[in-house]
Amino acid sequence: MPGDWTDYIGQIIFILFFLMLFTGMNQKIQVKLWAYDIRNKLSIIKRYADDSRSRIEEILNKLGVREPSGIVNKFMNFFMIEPVDIEPTDIIRRLDHLIRSRERIFKDSLARTLPELGKYERSLLESSLEIASVLNYVYKSIRHYLLLGEKYNNWVLLMQLQFMMPETMKLVETYYKSLDSFIKGTPIGDSVGPLVAYKIMEKGKILSKNVIEDTVVAEVWLDNRRVYVIKAEGPGSNVGKPGKVLADLVEKLSGNVDLVVTIDAALKLEGEELGEIAEGVGAAIGDPGPEKIAIERATSRHNIQLSAIVIKMGLPEALHAMKKELYEAVERTVDYLLNLIKNATKEGSTIIIAGIGNSIGVAQ
Amino acid sequence: MTFFNDPTLLLIVIILGVTVILLQLYIESRRKPRELPRITRTLLKCTKCGNVLEIDYEEGDFISLVKGKCSKCGAPMKIQAIYTIEVKQPK
Repeated sequence: MPGDWTDYIGQIIFILFFLMLFTGMNQKIQVKLWAYDIRNKLSIIKRYADDSRSRIEEILNKLGVREPSGIVNKFMNFFMIEPVDIEPTDIIRRLDHLIRSRERIFKDSLARTLPELGKYERSLLESSLEIASVLNYVYKSIRHYLLLGEKYNNWVLLMQLQFMMPETMKLVETYYKSLDSFIKGTPIGDSVGPLVAYKIMEKGKILSKNVIEDTVVAEVWLDNRRVYVIKAEGPGSNVGKPGKVLADLVEKLSGNVDLVVTIDAALKLEGEELGEIAEGVGAAIGDPGPEKIAIERATSRHNIQLSAIVIKMGLPEALHAMKKELYEAVERTVDYLLNLIKNATKEGSTIIIAGIGNSIGVAQ
Repeated sequence: MTFFNDPTLLLIVIILGVTVILLQLYIESRRKPRELPRITRTLLKCTKCGNVLEIDYEEGDFISLVKGKCSKCGAPMKIQAIYTIEVKQPK
């Protein structure tokens, strides 16, 4: 029937649709919706960053620090400038120097601020501060790109940011929840490597044990073989220097090593099972470069077989308190490793086993 | 009169359909996979007879710490593992 109200509504919708299409209004509405969603998620990230900061301040307060916010601020804004990579000569040495300098300054500053604090407690505090620092950095970066996108009306930037938000939120939640483990000192998923190393130490007869650069080297007599077990010194939050220590050990033994095995946690692909074990060749270590290259150089120089065993897990499992499924995977890995040693080497051989990862909650 | 000859009815059906789809999309975006709460447990093993005991985690526990005595032989017990397990919810 002409003049019916539905006709009018239809006409208005049609006109509005065309107006929006030709004036770009639809795009503007879309951008506003994206910005609104990003802002909502940003407020959640801010809550996580603030909460982690206040938890650390509370700990520092309990330890007798008068103005904890100043210290937290200093550590949260601490940065490291990447070495020049357009001139790759000696980049590993420069990167190693910067990483070591960063660690030393971080540790020394904390030791000066809290001189009475033990090594174990200090390591937990260091890692907690690093987590708070990551959360703060993510918050500031997202805020920067949101404001930049709005300032210059850059809808492509806002669109990219909006599409990245689900993954970013997952990462932020993972880091935020991992703070619990680092404050309490419980083993995390990434501790599977050091835990395998500890179990191997327990299986054999320990002949000697030394600590070099926050890294433990134990000489163990196992199945009539000389096994050197390397792991970061625990039970504090520490990854040690397993690459450098392993390389030095190979040189000390004049290359007379029959097998080197590195064991580490590896990020699983979606669909893969948690705690799946895989064997391969190469150095299983996830550092920025210096540690890994030290292992590769030492083993290739003396033509030593370099094997790797990885235990698969997602990023949340790697950073959160160790799940029982991962502990069961550790036990399976120990059996697997003992078999590998028996099959790949003869009696009287010398073997190096390096359990890579954070030794939090795992002593030796 | 057929369904397609009545524009009012057609419009109402379209509006209702779009509303239902939007509502479903919104609910799906809010829905998160349910994660069961977890508790941390400490696994102790007797250094002599190998008796195993699982207890609640206490702050300060770490792997290799000697803690408590075996209920069977009285020898010291050592922490073998610290892990989290899912807490089963009562149905």
